[in-house]
Amino acid sequence: MGTIKDRYAIVGVGESERSRKSGTTPLHLALDAAHAAIKDAGLKPTDIDGFMNYNEGDSCTSHQLATYLGVRPKYVKDIQGGGASTEMLIADAVALIEAGQLNTVLIYRSMNGSSGTRVGRGYDPDMLQGALSGGSFVIPYGSASPSQWFGMYATRHMHETGITKEHLGHVCLSFYEHAQRNPKAFLHGKPLTMENYLATPDISSPFNIHDSCLELDEGNAIIVTSAEKAKDCTSKPVYIMGMAARQCHPHAHYWNDIDQVASDYVAEELYENAGVTPDDIDVASIYDCFSWVVMRQLEAYGFAKRGEVGDFVAEGNLKIGGKLPTNTAGGMLSEGYTHGMNNAIEIVRQLRHDYEGTDRQVEDCKIGICTGWAGPDIAGAMILRN
Amino acid sequence: MTQATTAYQKPIPLKDIDNAPYWDAADQHQLALQKCDDCHAYSQPPGPTCAKCGSGNVSWEQLGDDIKATVYSYVVSYRPFLPGFQDELPTIIALAQLDNVPEVKIMGNILNCQEKDLEIGMPIQMTWVDITEDRALLQWIPVTN
Repeated sequence: MGTIKDRYAIVGVGESERSRKSGTTPLHLALDAAHAAIKDAGLKPTDIDGFMNYNEGDSCTSHQLATYLGVRPKYVKDIQGGGASTEMLIADAVALIEAGQLNTVLIYRSMNGSSGTRVGRGYDPDMLQGALSGGSFVIPYGSASPSQWFGMYATRHMHETGITKEHLGHVCLSFYEHAQRNPKAFLHGKPLTMENYLATPDISSPFNIHDSCLELDEGNAIIVTSAEKAKDCTSKPVYIMGMAARQCHPHAHYWNDIDQVASDYVAEELYENAGVTPDDIDVASIYDCFSWVVMRQLEAYGFAKRGEVGDFVAEGNLKIGGKLPTNTAGGMLSEGYTHGMNNAIEIVRQLRHDYEGTDRQVEDCKIGICTGWAGPDIAGAMILRN
Repeated sequence: MTQATTAYQKPIPLKDIDNAPYWDAADQHQLALQKCDDCHAYSQPPGPTCAKCGSGNVSWEQLGDDIKATVYSYVVSYRPFLPGFQDELPTIIALAQLDNVPEVKIMGNILNCQEKDLEIGMPIQMTWVDITEDRALLQWIPVTN
C-alpha cells in the first residue's frame, strides 16, 4: 500500500457523550458521533457513500446508521472485531476509494460497553470453548478475561526484560495526567499517584484496575476520503502516510508462543510504507487496553530497545513535553474506551493543532502514529501527518 | 492426586473431532500430544492439520503419566471470571513448558501452591483431577524434594 502515501485523509472526527450508563442504544450513540464527525468535516450526510463499523455483537449495523442519517449508501460493512479494527477499516475504505467504488466513508464504533456487554467480566464459557482457538485448553482453567490472557504474556515479557510493576505504573500515571487536562475524559478530576497505584490490589496479576481500560458507553466516528475530495471539506485534513492494516501472529495456537506479538510484524511494513522512522514521530496513540500492552508496543514499534522500555516510560517520555507524548487525551485507561477509535480521534486532533494555546497541545507536532492491538495475534497501525 | 467431586461447577473441557484423543488420554491420566508425521512438529493445542506446515498427516504420541515441566509464565487471578472459581481464589493459571518436549507448553492451574512461592522457572509436575465420573482434568503441582 506504499502508493497511497498522502493521497487519502481523515477529514472528520466526532464522538458521543461517554458514561457508565447511557440510558440509550448504540444506534443513538452512533448517530451522535456521526453527526459530530460530519459537522466537523463540513459535509452533509448524503456526501457519505460508505459506512463501516466493527463490533462484537454489541452495536447497531451500518445500514441502520445510514438509514437514520437519511442516507441511501452505496456500501455498508459490519465486521466482527475489537482493537486494530479502526486501522483495518480505514485501510478497507482507502482501498474502495482507490478502486473507484466509493468517495467518502464514515467508520464508527458504538457500544454500551459499560451498561451493556462488558468485555472485562469475561465471556460465556461454552461459547468460548468452541469459538476461541484451543478454547478447551484455556477455559477449564478459569481463564476467560482479557486481563488473564494478556497477563500471561505480560508476566513472561516482564521477567525477560526487567519491566516492573512500577514501570507499568508510569504508563498509567502519564495517561491519567493527560486525562486531567481533558475535561471530557471519564477520569478527569481523578488523578493517580504512584503510591495509590502500587497500593491498589491486582485483579489479574500483573494488572490492577488502573492497568485496565475503562469500559464505557460511547460512540465514535471517523470520516475518510481522498486528498482531492478533502479540499471540499471545511476541516484541516490529516493525511495518511502509511498503514499496515492486518498481520496475524505466525501461530494459529498462540498460547504456545507468547513471546511474539503481531505488532512485531506490523512495525516494519508500516515504517516502510510511510517512509519515516520512529525518530520522526512527534505524537502517538498506542493501543492501551492494558498498561503492559503499551510497553510491548513501544518495543515493537522501535521507540525503545528491548530491555529499555521501563526506563523510557519512567523518564516521563509518554507525557506531553516528553520524547513521545502518548495517548494525550488520557487513552483507554482514563479517557474512554471504544476499542481504539477514541485514540485515533485524538491523534487527528493533535495533528490539526485543535488544542493550540492550551496545555493539551503537543507543540508543533507534524507526524503521529496510531496503533491497534486486537490481542497478541492481530495488530494494525497508521502514520499520519498534517 | 485424585479426588472425586459430586457437583463440579467449572467448565468441563469440550471434546471435539480434533482434540478428543488428548482429553480421552487425560481421562485415563495420560498425556497424548499431536505430532506431524511430515515436519515432526508438535501441535498443542491439537488441530485438524499441522499448524506449522499444514500437513494432514498427523498422529498421536503417548507420553505416559510422569510429566515434568517448568513454569514458563503465569497469572494470579483474584476474581472469578467463570463459574466454579469463586470458592478457590486466588487462582493460579500457568503455562507449563514440558521438560522432555520444551517446544510444547500446556496451560493449567498450579494446585497446592502458595502465591509467594510461585516463580517463572519453578519445577512442576503434571497431575490429574477427576472432575466427573468419567472425566479428568490435567493440572500441575509444585515438585517437592
